[in-house]
Amino acid sequence: MAKTAAEWSAPPKFPATHYVDSRVYTDEAIFEEEKEKLFKPLWIIACHESELAAPYDYRLFSHPAGVPLIVIRGDDAKVRAFYNICPHRGNTILYDPAGNAKRLTCIFHQWSFDSRGNCVDISRAEQGYQERFCKEDAAMREVKCEVAHGGFVWVNLTDDCMSLREFIGGAMDILEPYMQQPMEVFHYHKARVRTNFKLWHDTNSEFYHDYLHYFNRITGMMQPGYFDRKYTGFPNGHATVGSMQIQYDKYEGSKERAVGWPGLQPGGWFMVDLFPGMTYNLRTSVMRIDVSVPLGPNEVLIEFRGLGLKADSEEERRQRVFDHNMIWGPFGRNLHEDLLGVHGQGRAMRHGTDSRWVLQGREENNTIHDEIGMRHYYAEWSRRMGRPAHHPA
Amino acid sequence: MVKSEQRQAIEELVYRSCLALDARDYKAFLALCDEDFRYTIATYSPEIRREMVWLDHDRKGMETLFTNLPRHNSDHSPITRHATVYTVEAKGAGAEVVSALQVFRTQLDGGATELFAVGRFHDTVKLNGAHPKLAKRVVKLDTRLLGYGYHIPF
Repeated sequence: MAKTAAEWSAPPKFPATHYVDSRVYTDEAIFEEEKEKLFKPLWIIACHESELAAPYDYRLFSHPAGVPLIVIRGDDAKVRAFYNICPHRGNTILYDPAGNAKRLTCIFHQWSFDSRGNCVDISRAEQGYQERFCKEDAAMREVKCEVAHGGFVWVNLTDDCMSLREFIGGAMDILEPYMQQPMEVFHYHKARVRTNFKLWHDTNSEFYHDYLHYFNRITGMMQPGYFDRKYTGFPNGHATVGSMQIQYDKYEGSKERAVGWPGLQPGGWFMVDLFPGMTYNLRTSVMRIDVSVPLGPNEVLIEFRGLGLKADSEEERRQRVFDHNMIWGPFGRNLHEDLLGVHGQGRAMRHGTDSRWVLQGREENNTIHDEIGMRHYYAEWSRRMGRPAHHPA
Repeated sequence: MVKSEQRQAIEELVYRSCLALDARDYKAFLALCDEDFRYTIATYSPEIRREMVWLDHDRKGMETLFTNLPRHNSDHSPITRHATVYTVEAKGAGAEVVSALQVFRTQLDGGATELFAVGRFHDTVKLNGAHPKLAKRVVKLDTRLLGYGYHIPF
């Protein structure tokens, strides 16, 4: 029987850990608090080292907490990150999303900085500032930056943050054996979707939605081993998904991914979901990395990267690109379906729709259709936000 | 130099290819394509400073793609391809054709239309007398932000 208003609003018949109040996806105040409590103090992937191959190569990154960053490889080959904000009049220093710059010069008044964040020139400094202000007073704001876990560049805006090692803990152990060879980004695109960033992470944290994907049903769900894949939770809200052997040749037009990945079993597939909005996804021949950059409570910009091995031959790379595009490219079978899914959630949950609860109640011994991945995430969310996700007001 | 009647036939080929795909008439689209047809969507990323391929199929691959798409969950909003043939240059027994492309998407609910993507068709055409065929199409996209995307090639 369909529900009345009172029944619709009543808490679900699950333990409070097994559902979420929809307001965590729509409330403006909660979103602003998330930027302070989730994104500012935690480590976020800004880019990959292959995007900064040479000294002075730089890459811009819009940090999820709202801060524009420059990530640059210095003259000493070290990768550093700075605010892309001129300390003079608050202007943008670099505009192009990537490039090579020995000097970072603000076009406004030509103040200039080196790749280590030092101010190296102030136009007509002595005439204007005499002895009161000099280059040493005008350095760029540097943020913590490390290259780790497959050559990704991690940044943290908080001076006294926990170390990246402590933040990740053992969550990447499942993937580290497969990231011993240098990787290279061959694909990058963004998707701007009217939905909450956590809903994208939820999609990456549960496989019950494989019913959405014809490709996954044919090559995975209907194959042996699918229901043996297990979730494992780690401290700080991270979770991993174990592998199976995907039968790619079961989908017409697809075939066994012969190019494979060093050390990975044929057809293997591991995932690591990192709090608060990043996912490593090694699917047989391609590594995909998602980084969510929330723009508001109901809008997110997702950065998608596809990576192969730096040592790839031309033919190997061509095959990896093909494999990537088959399901994960902007015209790929699965990505469009996943994005449609969260777009639909965004429509149904936007402010004022009277969406009330999101259920995360499936328990299947932590296997692939168990919703433990999401429950694990919201336990950490509740801890960091100081309020339970089932009752956030 | 391409004769004017040949150019007219080539322009019609480009426009008919848009009409066929707009109508999701894949059979009609493939009828405009040569047996050795190859279709590619490519774009340049200023972010990673690389040329990227987003879709690449031979004729058989396109046939399979068109067969598979109805099995998937897709955005049902229709898209409209607007092409303008810019240049037609004779090359061997065929022609190289460059056309401007704009793709518009119209929402099913309410019918609002928005610009979805811009780019260019770089077509290689086989001149089959009065019935030229597409031997190769490279869709070079300028637009890279496609929201939740689309399943049907441009």
